[in-house]
Amino acid sequence: MDVLSGPVAGVFRAPDVDYHAFAPELVLVAVLVAVLVVDLVLEGRGRRLVGGLAGIGLLAAMVPVLTLAVDGANRSMVGGAYVVDDFALVFKGLFLIAGYVTMLLSSDYLADDDYYEGEYYFLLLSSVLGMMVMASSRDLISIFVALELLSIPAYMLAGWRKRDLKGNEATLKYYLLGVFATGVMLYGMSLIFGITGETVLTEIGSKLQGPGASLPLVSLGIVFVIVGFAFKISAVPFHSWAPDTYEGAPTPITAFLSVASKAGGFVALMQLVFIGFLGRDDVWQPMFWVLAALTMTVGNLIALRQTNIVRMLAYSSVAQAGYMLLPFAVAGDLAKGPGAAMGPMTTYLLIYAAMNLGAFALVLAVARKTRSGEIASYGGLFEYAPGLTVLMSIFVFALAGIPPLGGWYGKLVVFKTLLDANTPWAIVLGVIAAVNSVIALYYYASVAREMWMRPVPDGDTTPVRVPAGLTAALSLCAVATVVIGVYPQVVARFGDLAVFSLLP
Amino acid sequence: MSELLRAYLTVVVFLAAAGMLVGVSLGMGRLLRPKRPSAQKAMTYESGVDPVGSIFGQSQVRYYIFALLFVMFDVEAVFIFPWALGLEVYGVFGLVEMTIFIVILALGLLYAWRKGVLRWV
Repeated sequence: MDVLSGPVAGVFRAPDVDYHAFAPELVLVAVLVAVLVVDLVLEGRGRRLVGGLAGIGLLAAMVPVLTLAVDGANRSMVGGAYVVDDFALVFKGLFLIAGYVTMLLSSDYLADDDYYEGEYYFLLLSSVLGMMVMASSRDLISIFVALELLSIPAYMLAGWRKRDLKGNEATLKYYLLGVFATGVMLYGMSLIFGITGETVLTEIGSKLQGPGASLPLVSLGIVFVIVGFAFKISAVPFHSWAPDTYEGAPTPITAFLSVASKAGGFVALMQLVFIGFLGRDDVWQPMFWVLAALTMTVGNLIALRQTNIVRMLAYSSVAQAGYMLLPFAVAGDLAKGPGAAMGPMTTYLLIYAAMNLGAFALVLAVARKTRSGEIASYGGLFEYAPGLTVLMSIFVFALAGIPPLGGWYGKLVVFKTLLDANTPWAIVLGVIAAVNSVIALYYYASVAREMWMRPVPDGDTTPVRVPAGLTAALSLCAVATVVIGVYPQVVARFGDLAVFSLLP
Repeated sequence: MSELLRAYLTVVVFLAAAGMLVGVSLGMGRLLRPKRPSAQKAMTYESGVDPVGSIFGQSQVRYYIFALLFVMFDVEAVFIFPWALGLEVYGVFGLVEMTIFIVILALGLLYAWRKGVLRWV
């Protein structure tokens, strides 16, 4: 009887909904529904229309993000479970731009092969929506819902080329390992909830600083939750899906997964670790140390042996995740408090997004002519596509961290965080990271050598025709990469902004 | 008898009543029905599908889509029941929220319909 009368008893007060704070998500939901309905009505006849609608929708969702940023106030809703602050806005902006660039990459790619379906844009928008929600989630349940919303469309997008065996492999591996990792993460969350009795991260944070926080069960919960997200950011030893999925998925989706999906995982980790698990740095700090060291080293060493450019970029993005994990590994030892580790991570993520999206856009452009993903097919690219060669050199050297291109600044701030911590462990990690940067230079430079110095493998020197969308995406990424490298204050400003206001 | 055990008495009574109901109805049937066994009747019942072939059989992929549609509306019911019980308490706010929820789910049905999933070929 009680069960039935439960929800009826008492007075219900409708929660105050701050529509301005929800506006980016609401716009995206409206566009998502419109894209689905338009495609259903036109039954595939309105390809350009659906794609254009989705692109405009992503840009339209950017407007409320900007007005919220101008407004500047921190908005907390649903009992602190959903927060819109500078941190959330910086990442919402990143996700929208990454989504838009993916859209630019996709339009011609989809038009060229016969795998077009209107659901493509619908799923892409859903995944972006999940990331937007993730950036604001400060609650175990909303983090989980956001994770599912960003992952499930991504599983389907990875297997888009459904008659292609590699595509099937890509989606199956991604899906099975992803679901497994989610299960592990959910188990960890249930342990944390069982001990603290809270789902809101700030409450968990204060409970985990009091007595009872040192229970082994808490440590187990934290480890499980971090393992779940280590999969999402493809940290070693949870990276095994990444190369196969990246190779088999359509290249625009690969770019999307390696940038936006990875950033989504990092956002969740930052929220969980720096708000919820802040008091237990004795658990997560050593764990991140091992993860970072392994991720950098294994990623770089395997990347050395790759002959396929997408697989090489996959392992390179695994290694890049390792650099981004470095601030986590020393966060507890920073004089300015663990929050000081957030700026460098955000900075690195933003720069990485520009470089990596650019590199994948270029792979797409070159593959239009060569129809091949082998690094050897880049031989003599300079002879027939000098512009693309220069751009690719910019992206690979930026990824390697050569000044004055974007990547160096990301590496600088990350290394500076290690030096600020100034513990023996931090120094050791710094040395490992430095050695890795040198290893990485070798395989990045070998792509450049192929393009500039080798002859054209098949002697075919017809110029590469690059469609407008791809050109726009390439120029956007290239300009961002160069400007950040020359004038890093732009991105440093975002890095400073993206710190939780509630940190001590 | 302790309070806890007394609470379980209901369960025991319920179990006994259930057992009796099954026993009486089956027993009555046994006494009243005519008995004409045939090979057809002795066959394993498999939802109207003839159980032929080896134990490893591939089922129609169509069932999978029906299962998906079922899950969709099943989940809908889980949310609608508690709302319906507290309809007056939740007021206009609840109505608007539930309308949005149902419209979005109905889009799923619209999608399935346009893609021809509802037609059994």
